[in-house]
Amino acid sequence: MRTKLPALLGLLCLAMAGCTNLGVKPWEREVLARDDMQPDANPLDTALDDHIYFSKEGTSGGRGFGGGGCGCN
Amino acid sequence: MAEKDQLIGGALAAAACGLLGAAAPGTSIAAEPASKWDVDTAFLYYGESDGRVQDASLSGLAIRNFGDDRKLSLGLTVDSLTGASPSGAIASNQVQTFTSPSGKSTYTTPAGEIPLDSSFHDSRVALDAGWSQPFARLYSFNAGLGISTEFDYQHLGLNAGVTRDFNQRNTTLSFAVAMGKDKVKPVGNVPVAFAAMGDVVDEDGTSANRGSDSEDKDVLDVLFGVTQVVGRHTLLRLNYSYSDSSGYLTDPYKVLTVVDPLTGEPVVRTPPPGVEGPGGVYLFEHRPESRTRQGLYGELRQDFSGKVLQLGYRFSTDDWEVDSHTLEGRFRFPLGESSYLEPHARYYTQSAASFYRYSLAVGTPLPDFASADARLADLDAYTLGIKYGHESSGGNEWSTRLEFYRQSGKAPDSVLIGNQRGTAQMPDFDAVILQFNYHFKL
Repeated sequence: MRTKLPALLGLLCLAMAGCTNLGVKPWEREVLARDDMQPDANPLDTALDDHIYFSKEGTSGGRGFGGGGCGCN
Repeated sequence: MAEKDQLIGGALAAAACGLLGAAAPGTSIAAEPASKWDVDTAFLYYGESDGRVQDASLSGLAIRNFGDDRKLSLGLTVDSLTGASPSGAIASNQVQTFTSPSGKSTYTTPAGEIPLDSSFHDSRVALDAGWSQPFARLYSFNAGLGISTEFDYQHLGLNAGVTRDFNQRNTTLSFAVAMGKDKVKPVGNVPVAFAAMGDVVDEDGTSANRGSDSEDKDVLDVLFGVTQVVGRHTLLRLNYSYSDSSGYLTDPYKVLTVVDPLTGEPVVRTPPPGVEGPGGVYLFEHRPESRTRQGLYGELRQDFSGKVLQLGYRFSTDDWEVDSHTLEGRFRFPLGESSYLEPHARYYTQSAASFYRYSLAVGTPLPDFASADARLADLDAYTLGIKYGHESSGGNEWSTRLEFYRQSGKAPDSVLIGNQRGTAQMPDFDAVILQFNYHFKL
């Protein structure tokens, strides 16, 4: 049972992705697992940038939460 | 067999963790039990041209992995701000005198120059904490708390989110909500909307036309995201964001110049005898008490044999009619075995808010809302920068980045009066961003 459930879920996911044909197998993630391929590889830089642009421009956000929480805008 | 399953599970979890955006730097497929804390520290200097805003900032972000991708993150930022900030008043062909926000003194601006309030200085401390962990195999949960405090502003924020993996963890859907509760406590109390800047009062006095000592602002943010592995070298992220702000959204320090309806020149005023005060008529701005914004954000991350290209685009639109487009790109390429170089470019453009005004004409009815804040005008901005990073043999990394930012605004012709057409000046500026980072493990 413990091995069947993941297999079923895996099949379900495969079915969901059937028409898109996007994605890789688990053993093909060598590049994707690298630090510099993570969606937010430099969270501190992102937070500092968001804060600067939040303070100086009329719109902000979109990438994640952050940048706000100051009286500068 | 069980061991092998665990290994594969670990590999999947590590890879998925990256997709969730919760990965700490240093996450890799192999288990790394040796270090428990990942610590990022940064010193940032931000300096604007012409003696305007300067910010020196120290930040730290520590992430502790308790195993099984249960993570605690703790962040701290301390900012020290000095310099001068545009007040919203326009340049004049005569010397202009203003009462400072505290109401206790005046400052003057030479003829032909854009008025800057030089009493701008602040320090800010921000703290945040977050927790994330997987649950029910394909789900992950995260929650966080943040506070920040300045002498005239306080912020309390809460956020929570959930992610779900599909398609062999090639697709991740995320949903997150954040709430912010802010308090504005302006120097000299909250100005009455469209009230005129008052004369100087003595130490114990309160300026005319001031109301309560604080106002509240609430912000609700909602984010839907999809992260998709496109191929072995390609990652795509799409976000839809919705933001609703309500309460006091006005900038208590910004004013509008009252001008002659024909010439567009500032109206001259003489303070009562023996009293110091403004030499013109300047009205405190007034913005709507709600703002609803929607945004779309797309990001592509592509590996080219160890070189990484990151391209991002954001479109934002709101009911203040500020629409913006942001294009951003980074290209990271290795230099030798342990260093990298990363050029960065960003372009930003926005349209003016419906209530943006360059000035107000004397004798005409006041609009419902008006602000001369250049951040609500038509504006374009560019950033160009480069980052250099080096990883030591022990796995620690230091990096430095240098960036230039240029912002230029434009007042739409429809808001200009008389001679202002062709002579209107915007408080454009250049800024430099210099940052040093050090990343280590404990």
